[in-house]
Amino acid sequence: MLFNTAHFFLFLIVVLALFYASPRVLRKYILLAASYFFYGSWNYRFIPLLLTLTAIDYTAGRWLEKIPPGPPKKAVLILSLCANLGFLGFFKFYNFLGSNLAWVLDKPENAFFLNIVLPLGISFHTFQSMSYVVDVYRGQQEAVRNPIDYALFICFFPQLVAGPIVRARNFFHDLFQWQPPTSEDVSRGILLLTLGLTKKMAFADQFAKVATDYFKNVSGNAGMLTAWSGVVAFGMQIYFDFSGYTDMAIGMAKLLGFHFPANFRRPYLAASITDFWRRWHISLSTWLRDYLYIPLGGNRHGRWMTYRNLTITMLLGGLWHGASWNFVIWGGYHGALLSLERVLRGDRLIREDWNWLYPLQAIVTFGLVMIGWVFFRAADLPQSLQVLHEMFRGAPGHLLLANWHIELMLIALALAVAEEKLDWFERVLQAPALAYASALALMFFCIEVFGVIDASIPFVYFQF
Amino acid sequence: MATEPSPRLETTPARKPRRIALALLIACLGLFGLDALLFRTHMYASILEPDSSAGLVELILWREKRAQRTAGDNLVVTLGNSRMGYVPKVVDLRPQQTGYRIRTAGVAGSDPRLWYYMLRDLDPTARRYRAIVIGVDDYDDEDRAFNPDDNIGALHYCITRLRWSDAIEFAQSFHSREFQWEAFRGAVLKGIALQSDIQAFLSHPLKRIAYVRLCHRGWPDWTYDYVESSRSMAGLRIDWSKLEATYPPGMTEEQKQTARDWLIHEPNPQTGRLAHFFRTWLGRIADRYRESRTKIIFVRLPRGPIPRPDYLVKKRSSSIRELASRPNVILANEHLFDCLERPELFKDAVHLNRDGIDLFSPMIADEVARILGPPGAK
Repeated sequence: MLFNTAHFFLFLIVVLALFYASPRVLRKYILLAASYFFYGSWNYRFIPLLLTLTAIDYTAGRWLEKIPPGPPKKAVLILSLCANLGFLGFFKFYNFLGSNLAWVLDKPENAFFLNIVLPLGISFHTFQSMSYVVDVYRGQQEAVRNPIDYALFICFFPQLVAGPIVRARNFFHDLFQWQPPTSEDVSRGILLLTLGLTKKMAFADQFAKVATDYFKNVSGNAGMLTAWSGVVAFGMQIYFDFSGYTDMAIGMAKLLGFHFPANFRRPYLAASITDFWRRWHISLSTWLRDYLYIPLGGNRHGRWMTYRNLTITMLLGGLWHGASWNFVIWGGYHGALLSLERVLRGDRLIREDWNWLYPLQAIVTFGLVMIGWVFFRAADLPQSLQVLHEMFRGAPGHLLLANWHIELMLIALALAVAEEKLDWFERVLQAPALAYASALALMFFCIEVFGVIDASIPFVYFQF
Repeated sequence: MATEPSPRLETTPARKPRRIALALLIACLGLFGLDALLFRTHMYASILEPDSSAGLVELILWREKRAQRTAGDNLVVTLGNSRMGYVPKVVDLRPQQTGYRIRTAGVAGSDPRLWYYMLRDLDPTARRYRAIVIGVDDYDDEDRAFNPDDNIGALHYCITRLRWSDAIEFAQSFHSREFQWEAFRGAVLKGIALQSDIQAFLSHPLKRIAYVRLCHRGWPDWTYDYVESSRSMAGLRIDWSKLEATYPPGMTEEQKQTARDWLIHEPNPQTGRLAHFFRTWLGRIADRYRESRTKIIFVRLPRGPIPRPDYLVKKRSSSIRELASRPNVILANEHLFDCLERPELFKDAVHLNRDGIDLFSPMIADEVARILGPPGAK
């Protein structure tokens, strides 16, 4: 059930109706049942896995709260983390490790191959679950008493398959002190749902067609301009796709009385890679900061340790996305760029001054990010190198994007700049009903004339 | 595009639930309003790509409406697909002999579903024409491999002519659920069906406008001056017992495939879908002119370079003969064009070539004049 299908909207309407028509005490059970139904609609065979992980971390949380600090407490933490990482590692990395081992042992590539289907959203819910256990261990979060509450935290359907990665304290605050959504929440939720749908159907899926055609046949699409346009198309696809999904997830949560954190803040307007990571997939980058970078030492042990920690964090962040050397390189590339920026910047803080230099910095950052997407999107390392070769050493080639694609990009850029400087989204929420309705109507119209309607293109991050 | 409240604007005034519902309703009305403003007025129709299905229909309607102004009272219009649509000029060359101005509004690739919607706008009072001549493949119904009732391409031909009130019946006229939904969706929100055209327009708006203007200057003459290919099928031989053909030299694989699809095939299962389709749409045309002075004349077009033997043709009904029982519906002589069913008069398995058209056009003009009688007669 993709978010951009009629089936899903029917499901959402039924869930909302049941949720609000039921006595308050039953509502979380309805959400839980709906969430398992949603997950089961993808592949019901993974529900036991989800339940197992839920049970392990729920029990670990309860133990951690009871056990006094010391080695036993640490052992419980390690046990829980091992279980989470074990499942994640098996499902996500077994074949990757197997093929590399086969290469080292000079055996056929599929010598250790297992036909493993990746459970949907496993990277997201294991990270969410691990952060809960770590928070309980650190004493920053009370262990949850009711397993139903914990199960709902893990499988809440708006963010189950692709985030945002929600922190336990925020989720349980909303759950335990649940308040009906205010009118403002409902207005915001509807606007976000519509905006997300527009981003996905009218923008992401249109660029996806170009990017898919390009990466399906890189050899047949030689040329510098061709390669750059194919990669930029993917850059647009992944941004609109993922941020569109996130907007819809946040919007749905608002309609149910939950408040998710922002996951994107106009990342392609970033003036540096550091700034980019403050704007891109914020729930993951803050998770990596809090549970990996800072525990590794962060920037507390001198420059070289800071660079090392940045690189390790980004390498693992890359690996989180997928089991291939391409993701490792993508993470390493960003880690290296972050370190390089640190070297050049020294101890000066990043400032977001919109001066005459800003557009130039933003264009350079955009270019660097696009180069990174090559590794993210290409099928394998040889293809990545081929694309990069075309981008920098290829013949002139031709533009894969039609003029109307470029017009869509310019509209998106204008809206992003306007949002950055004028907060148009908030102004629409504040405006009289007619202006609010006009904004919705324009988005609907945008879906009508640009939306990819018949081909259900899956969200990019669903594969993670 | 933000998702979080900004610090300086976080005190959003509460919008009451009823007002949210009202805003949603206004948003939906706004969507339909925008769609109507752009796609249900002349605004977008006037800049449709002339070479697209919808653009071609618009150009033909524009040309024929213009012609109505100067054509006098004895005006006849012909309708049909490419077998009829490619011969406008020669048909119209004999007004002195016949006393009738015969225009053609035939559209390549079209079917009776489009003809109904075209006629509705071409002749809103249902009294403008002395006769509507409809060229058909046969007076009997023979289901072929291709079912016109499930041709979703019809949506793109009809799109500019559809009204909101047509949405349900237009959608229901398709056979499969999938196409019914697609047709309904397109009829209600035309922007969905016109997506490709809009995107192409946005890519080169000035070029499009210039091309549309060019077409408006010269298209009627281009189409009326069009000279059909002189290529012929002379040398075509068909062994009907083996369903094998010897093709004349130079035929492309595509042309051979057309011959196989159109002529050289086993009978298809007769489902009655074609009969139902004809009864529906030709019936609606006949209904529209029930009380009118306008005659509906059906003409059986030359069937092909070599007609299929009777034992390969399965027919269970004859919807057009049924229609002929109505007072203003007339069938032209069924065998009038049998003499044209020769390989040397066809450019492929379906279409007449230049020589074929030169013979066909005066024949049809004379037949129409014969059926209608002298222009002054009642």
